[in-house]
Formats: sequence, structure tokens, C-alpha cells
Amino acid sequence: MKVSWHPATLKETLQCASHPQSISFSRQRVINIRPRNFTTSTRLQAGIAAAEIDFGGRTGKEKEPPFYARLVPTSASYFTAQPLFTDDLLAVQTLVERYSNLPTVKPGEAPRVAWRPLADYRDSVGEVVQASKYSKIIHALQRLNHIQASLMPEPVKDALNAYKRNVNPFRNVVKVAPIDKLGRSLGAGRRKASTARAWLVEGTGEVLVNGKSLVDAFGRVHDRESVIWALKATDRIDKYNVWALANGGGTTGQAEALTLAVGKALMAHEPALKPALRRAGCVTRDPRRVERKKPGHVKARKMPAWVKR
Amino acid sequence: MILRNVAIRHGRSALAAPLRRSFLRSMTTDTLTHETDALSHSVHNHLKETHSIEASINQLNLTKTFVPPSDAGESLDSIKTDYDSQQRLNKRTGKLGSAVEKGYVPDALVRNPPKPADVTLELLMASQSHLGHSTSLWNPANQRYIFGIRQGIHIISLEETAAHLRRAAKVVEGVAYHGGLILFVGTRAGQGPAIVKAARLSKGCHLFEKWIPGSITNGDQILARCDIKVVDKDDVDITSGFEDKIGDWKALKPDLVVCMNPLENYIMLHECGLNNIPTIGVIDTDADPTWVTYPIPANDDSLRCIQVIAGVLGRAGQEGQGRRLEAAKTGHITWLPPPGLGSPETAEDKKAAANKVRRGPPTADEIAAEQSRGKSSKQEMDDVDGEL
Repeated sequence: MKVSWHPATLKETLQCASHPQSISFSRQRVINIRPRNFTTSTRLQAGIAAAEIDFGGRTGKEKEPPFYARLVPTSASYFTAQPLFTDDLLAVQTLVERYSNLPTVKPGEAPRVAWRPLADYRDSVGEVVQASKYSKIIHALQRLNHIQASLMPEPVKDALNAYKRNVNPFRNVVKVAPIDKLGRSLGAGRRKASTARAWLVEGTGEVLVNGKSLVDAFGRVHDRESVIWALKATDRIDKYNVWALANGGGTTGQAEALTLAVGKALMAHEPALKPALRRAGCVTRDPRRVERKKPGHVKARKMPAWVKR
Repeated sequence: MILRNVAIRHGRSALAAPLRRSFLRSMTTDTLTHETDALSHSVHNHLKETHSIEASINQLNLTKTFVPPSDAGESLDSIKTDYDSQQRLNKRTGKLGSAVEKGYVPDALVRNPPKPADVTLELLMASQSHLGHSTSLWNPANQRYIFGIRQGIHIISLEETAAHLRRAAKVVEGVAYHGGLILFVGTRAGQGPAIVKAARLSKGCHLFEKWIPGSITNGDQILARCDIKVVDKDDVDITSGFEDKIGDWKALKPDLVVCMNPLENYIMLHECGLNNIPTIGVIDTDADPTWVTYPIPANDDSLRCIQVIAGVLGRAGQEGQGRRLEAAKTGHITWLPPPGLGSPETAEDKKAAANKVRRGPPTADEIAAEQSRGKSSKQEMDDVDGEL
């Protein structure tokens, strides 16, 4: 049988099959094979250059042992290039996992919390954190925030506090203007240089501005309409009496300051009207003022006329 | 208590419920009194029985603190007390009753990963590591790992998987033993927890988000803000004496990279190749095994398979780290300090750090032994480097 081209082990097997008496011999041979050294680097390194000369060893002077210190990353998230963020994320997710069995409140009933904005977080860690990644932290925090308040563990409280804004805007409740014992409510408004106060009482639709009737106080129909716009937009002109004081500025400013004042006074009587009043434009203060005059201009923006030569 | 409530409720309802019409019709006037007597007797007996059951249950003192839930508005305090009482009840009565067989716990493999010695073909098969891809998607370089074809997909040979996994575990253990930095990478969705766990076990690094290209080849730019520290032979931080050197030290490179999804991380593997960093990778039938140094043929689409592999390699790293610290305690240090790091700047710092390392003054024998060990460890390191 021609076996020369077979691999060694197969060759041996075939030999054993054809000549049973030679088993012991072949095994002996297999055992004597030297284990092959696959590493060549040591020999290579030795071959590239002469071995380092040890000057200290021969002369009897003991070579000082090296100082054993090595460099390792501070954080296991070193290769993410955002180690602080990744560690924060893992810490929060670990809390979620650990306390996942605690009872929670219903989805809408957790206390509303304003989380630190992304820019603030970026400043604190000093890394470029994408919004999508920061939202993962926020997602985990929201889950933690749903744990029952009475069962909230200390570590969770600490974690939540670390990500809360210093000021919680959701705890800010709008003050409701009081109604005095005579049934009057006071609202104040401003527009341009004018300020106005308006007292609103349930009545038949009489309006007095600075002791004058609406017709006497404002010559323009538009201004008259502005004063009672809050009542007109909500269809309550004949339900309230207005007694108002306005000073400063011009007629338009006073009239529109009164719009705001009457609107706020009306909200004291009927708080539910706020959305309607906001749509009617009786809630927001118009911040525009007279623009200052600039040097080189005739007015705020007007340029001097171009004169030939 | 619950039992009592149920019994009372049912007894009450049985009493309150009107008798069925057919039952009434079947009764004549003379039998009616007998029947009602019999009924009332039976109800009486029933109540007696429930009372006796209740008494015997109350004697057990198991449910003394349990308060049945009431409908009158749950306050926060009641939720807390309810929760606490439920916890107490579970603690006391949890061992009672029939034994529940082991169920499927999704994160069991992450919480308590298997050791390299626990790798069996059964475990690998149970974790679906044998399922490859459709035969049309295969990479012929994987032929030697493929057991056969079933229902149009390649089946990976579990023996090959187990053998390669054990070899990879040895590599991880060896690198950990020689103080190397191991990086675990698994960037597919859901691989994060297993990767983080493996990195924690082997004191390595983890990456479960996108690999930033150039983190190795351009690390000085990309990892410039990531902090590094100096540790001594027992992994205790050396806090002073190296500040200046750390400040302008080059970015670290991993000594071994374990990649769970090589298909998506070609750039990382290429960077490792450029820097002679050995890599271990899970090679599915559609992946190229030449991308990594030590392939592990297995199913990279199964999270359970990834959890097994990451867990095994993490455990191997843990073992290596443990052995390294053991050896360091006895004075045998298995690694060499990086060239150029040297010793702390001032003698006081050196003394402070050295006090941590060595308690008593070294004897001449120890110094000699250490030197010879240092040489041998250098030899070992060279061997490992060459091998890797």
C-alpha cells in the first residue's frame, strides 16, 4: 500500500492495520517526537541584535529591582471616550435594575420634576454628550421617579437629586388675586410707559377710567374697545363694572395697559377663563418699549437724508 | 385570615342567596320544615368548621400582622405598611408549600455567569450557539467549524465552539495574569449588560456603544480627556509621585480585545491589527474568521449565546486577576512596568508607595529571587507577546 503522501497519524494507522506487530514501535516513535515550539519571537529578538550587556551583574553590584507600577484607566469606560457619562448611565441603570420590584405610582401620577438640561450636564462632566445619550439617563431617572415616595430608597433619592434642577418650576404655583369683602378684584397692567390698575366688581357694565366715562376718557373707538377687550372677548361686558386708574404714557399705552389690568382682575373672579383670555391677548405683557435713538441716526433707525455734495 | 374571609363571605352569600325555584317546587309543605331545619343545621356546622379552621390558623401566628386591604382610599403610609407586611409574609411563608421548579430567569446568565469549567455542549446548545446563518450567506472560510445544514441554515459544530471558547478563556486568563488591559466590545442592542459584567469581573474595560474610529490609532486625540492612574503590584492606587508623567502619558491601548460582533466592528479590529493587539471574536457562519486572532465559532445573533461567551471569558479574566494578585502577595510579580514610567519623583513618595508594597525590609534571598523572577517573568512576557 502506498502511504507516503498521507499525514503522519493516518500513515501510522494504516501501518498498524497492515502490520499489527509494529504497534509498540510506532507508539515509541510518536512519544519521542519533540514538541514543536510555535514561538519564534524570542529567537527573532535574539537574532536581531546582540543581547543587552549587563554591566552591573558581573561586578557584584546588585541591580536595583524596577519600581512596580503600571498604568490603568481610572474608569472601565475608558474606551468609550466618554467615561464619566458612561459611568453615570451605568450607575442609574443599576439603580433601576436593583429597585425594579418596588411598588410604583400610576404613569401620570409621579411628581413632576425638571431635570437638568443637557447643556448643564455637559458642562458638569466636560464631555461632548449627545442629546440621545443623555435622554437614556433621563429615561432611567423617570423610571426611578415613579417609585412610591414613601418607599423611595436613599440611593435613589440621592441619584434623583443629583439630576434635578436647582429650581423646580413645577412647584411654582401662580398666586390668585384675592377678592375683597366688597366683591372687588384688583388687576394691574402695563404697556409702553403706561401703568394701569383696574377694580372689577359684579355689576351692569359701567366703566369709569380716571373718574371719566369710557367715551370721555378715550377719543378713539379702538382704544375704548381695547379697555373692555377682556370682557368683550369673554362675552361679559354687562356682567361687571370697571373702575380703573391709568397714568403715564399716551392714550394707546393707557388703553392697552387697561386691557391687561381688566384681564387680570377678571381672572381673579373666574380663573377658568385664563385660556380664553390668553387667546384674546389679555394675559401677556407686551414688552416693547420706545427704541433708543442712535448716534448718526436721526431717530432710532432713520438715517439723515442723502444730500448731493 | 384570607381563608377565613373567604369562608365567611361564602357562608354569608350561601345564607343570603335565594333558594332555587326548582328546589322550592320540589318541596311540599310538610317536608319544607324538615328541609329548612336540615339546611340551617348544615349552615351552622359549616360556620363552626370555618371558625375552627380560623382558630387553628391564628394559632400559627403567621398572619398576625396582616391587615386585609380596605377600600377606603389608600394613603402613602398604607402602601408602605402593606409593602412591608407583604415582604414579612413572603419571608415567613416563602418556604412553605410545594417546591417550585427552576424557571427561566432572563438575566441569570448575566448575574451569575458560567466558568470556563462549566462549558458543556449542553450549555452551548441550550444557549443556541449552534445556529448559523442561511447557507447562502456563508463565508467558506468557516467550513471547518460547520457541522452540517439543517432547514437551510448552517449548524456550527458545538465541539469546535467549546474547544475555541476554552482556548480563548485561556488567552484571557493569561493576559489578565500578566497584568494586561482587556477590552470587551459588544455593540449590538442588548449586549451591554453582559459586556459590562464581563469587564467588571476581569477588571477590564467595556464598550457597548459605537467604537469611535481611531481610538487606538489616534488615541492621543480621542482619549485625551480620559483619566488614567498608576497602581502598584496589589492594584492599590499610587496617588502621588507620578502626576507629571500621567499628565503627558500617551493614551492607553488594550492588550487584548474581545469582540462579540466582529461584523460591525471591522474598523476596530483593523486598528488592533495595525497595533499588534490580539483579538478574540465570535465568528458566525457569515463572518470572516481572519479578522480576529482567536475566533470562537458561535451564533452572534443570540443574546443568550453572547451572555454565555462573555460570561465565560469574564470569569476566566477574573481567575487570571485573582492568580496575579495571589502571586503578587507572595512577592512574585507577573508583569513588568511600562518602559519610561520609572519610579515616583520624590523619595518620600517612593517611600510612601514602597511601604504599601513591602512591609518589612527585603532579605538578600528575596532580592535575588525577585530578580530571577523578574527575568523569568520578562521571558514569559516575551513569550506571550510572541504568541499573541
